[in-house]
Amino acid sequence: MVHLQPSFLDVAGAEKSFGAATVLGGVDLGVAQGEFVSLLGPSGCGKTTLLRIVAGLLGVDRGTVKLDGKDITALPPHRRDVGVVFQNYALFPHLTVAENVAFGLKAHRRSATEIREAVKRFLELVHLSDFADRSVRALSGGQQQRVAVARALAVRPKLLLLDEPFSALDRKLREAMQIDLRRLLRELGTTSVFVTHDQEEALTMSDRIAVMNRGAIEQLDTPEAIYRRPATAFALEFVGLSSRLAGTSLGTENGLVHVETAFGRLVAPGSFIKGAPVLLAVRPERIKVDAPGDFALTARLRDAVFQGSKVQLHFETRAGDQLMVETADLPQGVPAPGTEMKLGWAVADTLLYPAP
Amino acid sequence: MKPATALSPWRDPVVLLAVPALLYLVLLYALPLLWLLAKSFVGPDGLTLRPYVDFFADPFNWRVVWNTLGIALWVTLVCLVIGYPAAFALARAGAALQIAMLVAIILPLSVGVVVKSFAWQIVLRRDGVISQFLVGIGLWDEPQRLLFTETGLVLGAANIFLPFMILPIYSVVKLIDPRLLEAGATLGAAPLYRFVKIMLPLTLPGVVSGVAFVFSMSVSMYVIPSLLIGDRFQTLSTLTGRSFLFMRNEQLGSTTAVILLALAVGVVVGSSWLARRLGSST
Repeated sequence: MVHLQPSFLDVAGAEKSFGAATVLGGVDLGVAQGEFVSLLGPSGCGKTTLLRIVAGLLGVDRGTVKLDGKDITALPPHRRDVGVVFQNYALFPHLTVAENVAFGLKAHRRSATEIREAVKRFLELVHLSDFADRSVRALSGGQQQRVAVARALAVRPKLLLLDEPFSALDRKLREAMQIDLRRLLRELGTTSVFVTHDQEEALTMSDRIAVMNRGAIEQLDTPEAIYRRPATAFALEFVGLSSRLAGTSLGTENGLVHVETAFGRLVAPGSFIKGAPVLLAVRPERIKVDAPGDFALTARLRDAVFQGSKVQLHFETRAGDQLMVETADLPQGVPAPGTEMKLGWAVADTLLYPAP
Repeated sequence: MKPATALSPWRDPVVLLAVPALLYLVLLYALPLLWLLAKSFVGPDGLTLRPYVDFFADPFNWRVVWNTLGIALWVTLVCLVIGYPAAFALARAGAALQIAMLVAIILPLSVGVVVKSFAWQIVLRRDGVISQFLVGIGLWDEPQRLLFTETGLVLGAANIFLPFMILPIYSVVKLIDPRLLEAGATLGAAPLYRFVKIMLPLTLPGVVSGVAFVFSMSVSMYVIPSLLIGDRFQTLSTLTGRSFLFMRNEQLGSTTAVILLALAVGVVVGSSWLARRLGSST
């Protein structure tokens, strides 16, 4: 990534090891002011470690963290102006909802009037005004999460970090709250870094997503770019579904690589020397049934999964390969397993990676 | 907040499980104790408060009450100051270290109080470890005897009762989510503020039970003062013991026992009430 203007949050070369295990291996991350960036990756990829380093709850072995032009690498968490919404919310059980929201303001020694007004405003923003004097223990999970958000935002931090704040909520509630929270943060203009292992959550909420794997950021880009052009085989696999065929490069010609696969010769944009093992992939909705694109292959249907608005077709392949199609357009209805079908797609939609 | 219960305690058959314990305590403990204590209110002409009036008319007895309360407060304070951080260390230690520490705390409870008191006699002597150490680091010019002093009594008693302060606080600290302090930090609270506003109120229930345990045990201790300070320093307990054992004055004995009970219950209930009030107002 090339940043034309200096980032609001700028993590440079962050390294962290626990004993012999390297958790972060020199991570760079830039976040613009007002931006919402997700750290997306499987558990153990270092995303929570990176978040804790930015919050100051964990030190770095090497590297710097800058916020708003100021080096905060050595600052303790209470002097960083970085708010955190914890995965389990970490609400103060001995305080009421309003007292929880007021906690940071009191710690900052704001005036009583200011505290009262801020508490009122932020409880309104998260629709919890009627619960101000309740004990936080008497709240549902969704309400507790909103208290945690209001508490973190009430001190108006320069940066808000969210550590899987939806993971304890059921699916329906989660989806509604994702949209609510995104709108609230956009209205307040809060710069946010959001940690999640849920790709749908990341795609829904983010301005940009950092796909993390094994302590490194593999790709930092918009959700659309990550979905359409995954930079690595890991990003391809972690975000969205794909058809994947192992193959061998037959050489590059005019920016197109010819690949020998189990389904014959296919072509993809890229550059690989002859004989290199490669992975060829296509997003399932880019493959057309019986309407060949730049090339076509024939495959035998193994399974058809009806999903309402679309049908997922899985085809028989060699072990390790995966060939699937998502389509909304099947005029003859869902075909029976065993049916031979013609599949085709555009060369431009073909993705090519070194074999993992 | 009180959870709604489907059955009132009187209708819930589970309550019946407490019946054996209740019978045992009432028949073999509460009734004999009441009978003993009642003796202090019965004179030759029926009910009377005469023993109490006589007791408080004697300045020596005031001294005894003061001794009792003073020593118990000091022991409780020393246990709290040492035990509170120890409980944190214990609760946050790794699994293996935690087990080792728990064993080190609980195992000495199986050594009798008499044995421990005699051991403290050796420690507190003029040529004992404490004296030698303080001379060694230059704090004392010459060896001094701590045995048969109030300081020695407080040191010995605090050691013996320390587990009863550490364990209740530990059990509360263990349940506190360490992320609460992190949350406090990210909200801009400095370490001391976090401790006062988060940790202290949340550990208060443990402190209250630890204080109640240690205070009620040290206000009524008998063997430890007998061995570590002797007859020249009387407490309500030792006076009660003397009244029954040596003076054969059952009425004086039950009077001092009632006063001791009232003081212990009063201080324990009063301090926990105060603590809860303070806790809810922070």
